Amino acid sequence: MKRFFKFAAIAAGIAVLLAVGGTYGASYYYTSQYGQGCASCHEMATCVSVVHSAPHRTVGCMECHEASLATKLRHMRIHIFGTIPENIRLRDVDVPAIAENCKTCHQHEYASWHAGPHSVTYSQVFADPVHNSKRMLMDDCLRCHGMYFSGSIRDLVKPLNTKGPWRIIRSGFADQAAMPCMACHQIHREGTQETKAASRISVAGAAVPESLAFYDRRETLHFAAATLSIPQLHDGARAVTISQDPRQALCYQCHAPRDPETGSVAAANAWGPQVGSGDDRTPMGVHEGISCVSCHDGHNENTRASCKTCHPQMSHCGIDVERMDTTYASASSLHNIHWVKCADCHQHGIPKPKTPAAVKAKLRTTPGMNG
Amino acid sequence: MPSSKKPKRMTRRQFVAAGTMGCAALAVGCKEGNHGNWDFLNDAQARTLTAICDQIVPEDDFPSASQAGVLTYIDKQLARHYRRHRDIYRDGLAQAGAMSRERFGQEPAALAAPQMAELTSAIEKQNRKFFDLVRSHTFEGYYGAPRHGGNRNAVSWRMLGMAEPPVNGRAQYDLRKGSA
Repeated sequence: MKRFFKFAAIAAGIAVLLAVGGTYGASYYYTSQYGQGCASCHEMATCVSVVHSAPHRTVGCMECHEASLATKLRHMRIHIFGTIPENIRLRDVDVPAIAENCKTCHQHEYASWHAGPHSVTYSQVFADPVHNSKRMLMDDCLRCHGMYFSGSIRDLVKPLNTKGPWRIIRSGFADQAAMPCMACHQIHREGTQETKAASRISVAGAAVPESLAFYDRRETLHFAAATLSIPQLHDGARAVTISQDPRQALCYQCHAPRDPETGSVAAANAWGPQVGSGDDRTPMGVHEGISCVSCHDGHNENTRASCKTCHPQMSHCGIDVERMDTTYASASSLHNIHWVKCADCHQHGIPKPKTPAAVKAKLRTTPGMNG
Repeated sequence: MPSSKKPKRMTRRQFVAAGTMGCAALAVGCKEGNHGNWDFLNDAQARTLTAICDQIVPEDDFPSASQAGVLTYIDKQLARHYRRHRDIYRDGLAQAGAMSRERFGQEPAALAAPQMAELTSAIEKQNRKFFDLVRSHTFEGYYGAPRHGGNRNAVSWRMLGMAEPPVNGRAQYDLRKGSA
């Protein structure tokens, strides 16, 4: 019996030594060589090799990924028992930690995103009494407002009715961002190392960051912006001119038009999806053919000062474009900036351009505006 | 009659040595399990299978089977749901390699397109079961859901004119009535 206890004590001692040494040793091993250690478990090899051909090639796995003892033990269990998922993907509970780590290097972009509407939390989206009292929540809401949430809507919110009061039932999710960085950016991707934004600015056309991609929660995959489709939309029977800027294909995934409703004139005439249907904001009228990102900042969607990119201060009418009666100046305006037309104000005919002397002078001195 | 011999007990030294050797064997075993980027196939099998799959779906205006990730699909499935087909793949790929070396003196991956087409026809005749399996798995990988490893970037669906992910809005707001 004494001998048994002696062996048991030695075995326990070895186990503790292995656990402590193994944990710290493994941490050191995995952090070295930018993740080559992680790739030695062959199920991780694809993830590591892809990121090694991407801009984050010089970033170690654990600079982004959380690697607690519990995570390591979970990985070890999966490795030993061979219960490896078909696709190794981020779990929804791991997303906030990763997004926080994005901030370490991309402070400006993170702050900009945080200041904009796309940093909205699960609670703000799914426990909103104004929305929920009018429309029932459903799984498809998660397509754009919870791409990384792995369950269904009934796992997230209760009650599923229009009476409320609504609350987020998944622990720890209420204050999490519903649309994290990875909703629109693919980190593990094949591609060349990107340069700093300043040297990416192209004179030949829109510079498209290779990271831009839509995370499709059904497929649990990113689709690169360049592979996404830009729909052909109509204003009545007329096909609207739409910018083919691939960056805005990403916007269309969520700010998407609908097929005409059964019984509508558009459906009867087979005109196709109409501008402004669903959550579409395709510009028409004076802004027709302009890309979303010509006016909207990519991270906070702000349009502040964007008018000056194209307009001289005064319009051809002699009115400051930023003060015109549009939703740019006031959200309560009846003239949505996306669809405003000259004829909306000039209902009895559009007058000839009335350019004040000051604007003429400005036009003469503005590069590219003087003919 | 009870034996007078006492059972031989492990000494402490033997116990520690056995434990150390066990750990070392585990570590070596883990290392030997490394298949590179594949779950089931080895690199040589993957090269042969690439050559066969690319005969079934060759590159034109759209990517070939291997470019669309069909190999990844087949490899993942052989490591999981299609374990029952492993022997057919092992034997079929070995046979394809042998036929190629015998006829052309080269591995299938090194053959020119006409030679590979000839080899693929020969495989179809001599090992119909293997060829039919590869063909149906190639189609599954090329036209199936991208989440399973094939149909990279939903390329075959776009070839068929289907937008993926679909641009599909909801009737949440009526923007024409007011704010941006």
